[in-house]
Amino acid sequence: MAEIAQSLKLFADFRIDCVVVGGVAAGARGSSQVTFDVDVCYSREADNLTRLANALRSVNATLRGAPKDFPFLLDEETLRRGLNFTFDTDIGKIDILGEVQGVGSFEQCFKDSNELELFGIPCRVISLENLIAAKRSAGRPKDLVALPELEAILEHRRQHNITKP
Amino acid sequence: MDKVVYTEQERWLIEPKPGTAAARARDFGIDLSLTVSNLRLTPHERVKQLDEFQHEMRVLRQAVLQSKQNGRNRSESKAVR
Repeated sequence: MAEIAQSLKLFADFRIDCVVVGGVAAGARGSSQVTFDVDVCYSREADNLTRLANALRSVNATLRGAPKDFPFLLDEETLRRGLNFTFDTDIGKIDILGEVQGVGSFEQCFKDSNELELFGIPCRVISLENLIAAKRSAGRPKDLVALPELEAILEHRRQHNITKP
Repeated sequence: MDKVVYTEQERWLIEPKPGTAAARARDFGIDLSLTVSNLRLTPHERVKQLDEFQHEMRVLRQAVLQSKQNGRNRSESKAVR
């Protein structure tokens, strides 16, 4: 099992309330762009933060780019005090977002998301419309490169009344 | 090699009309034949393909790093001699 599958399984095993966003969501929606991490927008409910911290500790998550000796306690309190985190883990790069620029919180990402079965795991995946809004708002070169294809897919779906994911 | 046959819906992406988002994507440099082949897959198959690619890239990267390390070790060992 490779990185994306392992990350999705981790979130399912620890019953994390989250929505898959970013490159994996774009891939699920048909984009041919590649990605090297798994991004999720997570619920800020206290129980979910505890489960999320437990999940990330179980795969030895460390802050990406931080020095090895950087003091960082991965627990519910730390997640509550912060918002968006990028981690290196034993199963690959995982980014957790409390808020997605251009869309909003978990609740807003969840709205209009679909449940897709990926690797036999039911996963909530951000809608194509919200994914485009997020990429447009983020405005980084890698987001802007992904936009034209996502917009073409959305237009194609609307033009032909395609409802299946 | 068999010629790829596109449905009418797929041709809308492959041969986009001017002014459409598909035309803008094509002009931007996106290979929409890749998009069409992705859209033929299920979401699971699309993400599985992405996962396999990501895994292969990681293996390749490790092999390159290992090869560089081996090269450095050989140079150092020659220098000692």
